[in-house]
Amino acid sequence: MKIGLECHVQLPTKSKMFCSCPTEDCEFPNTYVCPTCLGMPGSRPVLNRQVLVYGIMIAKMLNCEINDTTWFARKTYFYPDMSKSVQITQYDNPIGERGVYYLDGKKPIRITRIHIEEDPGSTKRTADLTSLVDYNRSGVPLAEIVTEPDIANPAEARQFLTQMIGDIKHLLQIPADLEWEVKCDCNISVGTERVEIKNVTGLKNAEKALHSEMVRQIAMIKAKKKIVRETRRYDPDRDVTISMRVKEFEDQYGYIDEPDLGIYHIRELADSIRIDESPQNKILRLSSQYGIDQKMAKQLVNTSMDLADLFEDVAKDFGVADAVKWVGGPISANWRAMEERDGEVDLSRLKDFIRDFADGKITDTQCAIEIKSYMTGVDASAAQEESAGLEALINGFLDENPRIVSDYQKNDKAANQVIGFVMKQTGGRYSSAEVVETAKKLIEARF
Amino acid sequence: MTMDSILSDLKAINDKYQMFHAMTSDTEAGDAKFLFSAKDNLTSMDMETCAGSRILEGYHPVFDATCIDKIRKAGGKLIGKTNMDEFGFGTFSTNSGFEIPRNPFDLERACGGSSGGSACAASVIEDHVSLGVSTGGSICCPASFCGVYGIAPTYGRVSRYGLIDYGNSLDKIGVLSQKATDLKKFMEMIAGKDERDPTSMVQPEFRTAYRRMGSVAVPKEGIEGLSKEVESAFKSALEDLRSMGVDVDYVDMPSLKFAMPAYYVLATSEASTNLARYVGMRYGHQEGDHSLKFDDYFTAVRSQYFGDEAKRRILLGTFTRMAGFGGRHYAKAREVRQVVINDYKRVLETHDAVLAPTMPFTAPRFDDISKMSALDSYKADYLTVPANLAGTPHLSVPCGYDSNGMPVGMQFVADHWNEDVLFSVAEDWEKQFDLRRPEVSI
Repeated sequence: MKIGLECHVQLPTKSKMFCSCPTEDCEFPNTYVCPTCLGMPGSRPVLNRQVLVYGIMIAKMLNCEINDTTWFARKTYFYPDMSKSVQITQYDNPIGERGVYYLDGKKPIRITRIHIEEDPGSTKRTADLTSLVDYNRSGVPLAEIVTEPDIANPAEARQFLTQMIGDIKHLLQIPADLEWEVKCDCNISVGTERVEIKNVTGLKNAEKALHSEMVRQIAMIKAKKKIVRETRRYDPDRDVTISMRVKEFEDQYGYIDEPDLGIYHIRELADSIRIDESPQNKILRLSSQYGIDQKMAKQLVNTSMDLADLFEDVAKDFGVADAVKWVGGPISANWRAMEERDGEVDLSRLKDFIRDFADGKITDTQCAIEIKSYMTGVDASAAQEESAGLEALINGFLDENPRIVSDYQKNDKAANQVIGFVMKQTGGRYSSAEVVETAKKLIEARF
Repeated sequence: MTMDSILSDLKAINDKYQMFHAMTSDTEAGDAKFLFSAKDNLTSMDMETCAGSRILEGYHPVFDATCIDKIRKAGGKLIGKTNMDEFGFGTFSTNSGFEIPRNPFDLERACGGSSGGSACAASVIEDHVSLGVSTGGSICCPASFCGVYGIAPTYGRVSRYGLIDYGNSLDKIGVLSQKATDLKKFMEMIAGKDERDPTSMVQPEFRTAYRRMGSVAVPKEGIEGLSKEVESAFKSALEDLRSMGVDVDYVDMPSLKFAMPAYYVLATSEASTNLARYVGMRYGHQEGDHSLKFDDYFTAVRSQYFGDEAKRRILLGTFTRMAGFGGRHYAKAREVRQVVINDYKRVLETHDAVLAPTMPFTAPRFDDISKMSALDSYKADYLTVPANLAGTPHLSVPCGYDSNGMPVGMQFVADHWNEDVLFSVAEDWEKQFDLRRPEVSI
């Protein structure tokens, strides 16, 4: 089975790709529009340079070769939400080509190309079958990332997307909790013929759509029926793919160069752009540099890049063991609670507690309580009481279920029973990270 | 004639010559310092703008084209939008969705195209400058047929913001007037960088100081296929030039013959994508059966409101862009364009301009035009197309009259950004040429 993806992500510019209209969401249709993004006769595009910068950043992250010159093309097709019936995109000489992106640091997924293009508007069908068109999105910049068919199965597709989107979000400084729609065209061939599932929204749906199409193709092959090359769409409610049309070939769009925009010489710009280490690369480096397992590294990085930085900082000053013990332990456990307090916590203060412990001024229990108290703002004695309460609860459960300890030695998933029990008993009183951390500590203490 | 008297007679003048599709109803000039008109493919807020196409009937733009805005700010009053071939597709202004302008020297003859209405207005109205647009020769051709001066500047010299596109990599905005001095004055007003048109941002300084034209090259390819009377008027104009101290040399420019097919591939490829936006949804005609599926609705509107020539060029352009042909036609045409540019550069290294008649014949009669095939009329542009393909500035000046009294024009082509040498030769020529004005009566 071969799977290749064409993934569309929105670039976080403040204004649209070819005009100065804002890109933010708007409650009312056709508010953020001007002659250019409405395609009025006589209007013309002026490129927002930041779009090139973002495109180059993603191309670098995906280890693409960046072209010295890049230019735009016109792709012609008729659709009501396309204001010019022509989309400005890239065809020859996109920003980047021939990249490679490693899944979990191991499996290479080849990147065919990354190019930038404008989003069309959107169409809404009303109950009386009227179609309404909203051009607020018309001209919003997108990057399209095309992979080679190197993905082995639907689960891997989702894993790839999750990892890549996480890295892109960090790269472009898109807030982790911002709802940021990712759309994919998913190509899958179980036998020899390729089928495209157009416009799947979201990572979970991409996996589900691919799975559903995989099952369909397998059934077709078993029944000795021919799979036709076509474009299908995915209906998430019924979990099926539905035929839309026979696949268009690229030439049918009649691409020509976009004559209103010139050729962009981007070598110098590309050379001047340095990109930070991606979360995925940080996970790989932390685990190899400090000898911690990837799971721990992933937990640190996925919680926050700042947490991962703190880990490195503590490891440098106090050694890896203490960094794992404190940053991977109570600091990580109380991170979310700290974030909710929004800027009241000075991370460098946390190192003072660790130093007190390292100097033997406080016990590890005291240290954990100090950290929790400082990060959450809960009074130290209350924090101590809470922690004691949590520990008592877990110890009681372990006393009644001693097999968990021996199971855990074979497979650490056994801890889930304890975690599940505590969550049920206490509702939301403790953070899940704190429960997990305490449970593991107490189980391991019984070896 | 005063400005007010022109304005009060405007409707009567237009009834006779049909140069305007839309025009002002004002009869007083108010604070205006001068009057001007503009081709109907330049957007203006106060008048309907249709680019000669019925598909845009009723369209009132929400912004002024940069060139119109600049002239208004200099004190100009826009009096009308001039009739033209639909979207600029033609050589005689007879492919219009609306009125067909009449040649001021003979009402049974065409004004030339596609800026026919502009040439007519420049010829008929005193002290008048009209904005035209050239893609393949649409300023020089009507200037020649109507006996006025016309200049198409270097591609990128004038912002195309507000120009309803024909072929974006070819379109240039220029001016037509009876007076050579007005060309410089108005070009200076509209030239310059404009952030709303990136192709205008690379231009060097616009020079207007006098720079004498010392030599011209006449390509042998440019004097083939001329009518007898054009040939003799041109030859006598060469003598006049010599007597003005301009050296005249005959040269070979073999690439000129390939310019025509390359031009039609590029122009129609671009045009077919530009015209895709006219589907009866966002501007112009929007009636039709709204219960149809969108592609059926679009097809119905386009079938009804595009003229035959627009349809022909959409089909041609779509064909040249399509599967398997894009490389063979479109990419090839891009290469040919470069060859033509190189040929001009070579000749212009040793000469100040390339010179040939503007059109191979004088303004034809409407009944003769109706007998011409599409290919016949495409071929008529063979003298004006090469400079347009190359993006070089070019100027048509009246250089004689045939036995019917119809004007003959000749076209100077200078190197990129060298408009100054064209203004200078036009002004020198004006001093010694006996310009005939059409007899204007209402």
